[in-house]
Amino acid sequence: MLNHDKPHAFKLSLTINGHLVEREIPTHLRLIDLLRDDLRLTGTKEVCGEGECGACTVILDGQTVNSCLILAVETHGRNITTIEGLADIGDLTQLQKSFEDQHAVQCGYCIPGMVLTGDKLLERNPHPSRDEVKYELSGNICRCTGYHKIVDAIESAGDGN
Amino acid sequence: MKYYAPTSVKAYFELQSKLDSSSAVVLAGGTDLMPRFERDLPLPDHLIDLKKLSELSSIVVSDEQIEIGALATIQGLHDHSIIQDEFVAIYEAAHEFAGAQIRHRGTIGGNICNASPAGDLLPPLYAFGAVLTLAGPSGKRQLPIHEFILGPGKTVLMDSELLVSITLERKQLQSQFQKVGLRQSMAISVVSLAFVWGENMQNLTIAIGAAAPTVVTLDSINPARLSNQIDLIDIAIAPIDDIRATAKYRIRVIKNLILEFLRQH
Repeated sequence: MLNHDKPHAFKLSLTINGHLVEREIPTHLRLIDLLRDDLRLTGTKEVCGEGECGACTVILDGQTVNSCLILAVETHGRNITTIEGLADIGDLTQLQKSFEDQHAVQCGYCIPGMVLTGDKLLERNPHPSRDEVKYELSGNICRCTGYHKIVDAIESAGDGN
Repeated sequence: MKYYAPTSVKAYFELQSKLDSSSAVVLAGGTDLMPRFERDLPLPDHLIDLKKLSELSSIVVSDEQIEIGALATIQGLHDHSIIQDEFVAIYEAAHEFAGAQIRHRGTIGGNICNASPAGDLLPPLYAFGAVLTLAGPSGKRQLPIHEFILGPGKTVLMDSELLVSITLERKQLQSQFQKVGLRQSMAISVVSLAFVWGENMQNLTIAIGAAAPTVVTLDSINPARLSNQIDLIDIAIAPIDDIRATAKYRIRVIKNLILEFLRQH
């Protein structure tokens, strides 16, 4: 959360998980705070708040980004997918099922970011090597250090495509 | 904090001339600026987002040169075929640059203007002799990158100016980037080096990052002579002790990386 003694309002309009969202927000509101506090999309997590850990990863116009490093105003008119929007409600993507099958979740805090990063990798490269998966995940930290199973989950979802 | 997102350089300068420069900050990718806002940098009265200046995000290739818009992202550089084929050290620096989320946002212009001694694109840009184009309200000027960066966080960029592009001559040189960090990725460099050379190791240039207040460039190197007199490096560099490594360690790693490079070529 950024604090500011001279707040200024901005009429924001953007698409989140396929829905048009219109809100009046202060210009210093970070994207992650819009998602979590205003829209209650709490699947997106905040850990480090400085772009090191990737727990706050969302997809902005097709690319993974850290929502803690972006002001909500920067996303005006743009398109965002959070972990809540990856599959239809009540359903899971093949990659999400693979995280279940491989028991890739320990505390779970990093997992939304891991899934979104894995999802974009598989979209670009449906059969990544283990090294390619590891390279792609370098911006996502798992504090439980459960990397093996996470890499397994992405790799095996790739195999299944 | 008022937010502005001008859509042309002309509109940017019109806006900028109306604002008090001490109360305005420009925003590109935000990957350095946002953590500073989180830590201790006060939010400005006016924030000017440059990302809608689409004329600054293209990469234009001609027979003799490549002109990279200052807003080109690290990922954009990484994915560009001419960078991959002819400026290998820049491609390699972009490949090892932070994580995907940062590469998607961070810009080459931001990496240069932040002028961090550990900025990973800087050694290859110095070694290739990158020329920067700055625009001001009254016109443009060009200067080589080593004249642009003065020290950590310090450049010759005036408040009224904008870095618009980075030009590299296409001389078909070979190159390599080497980085030592405390972790394979996401780690700030302990040292980073770029080697650029022509046919038969002619005109070898070595640019060393994170070893002095700015990048140190050694050019027209005689490889045989340098490998016999590697301690000459001591005169050129001035590393510091910090949280990531001691100066002594940095000096040793730099010499070993250079010796290893010379052995392999």
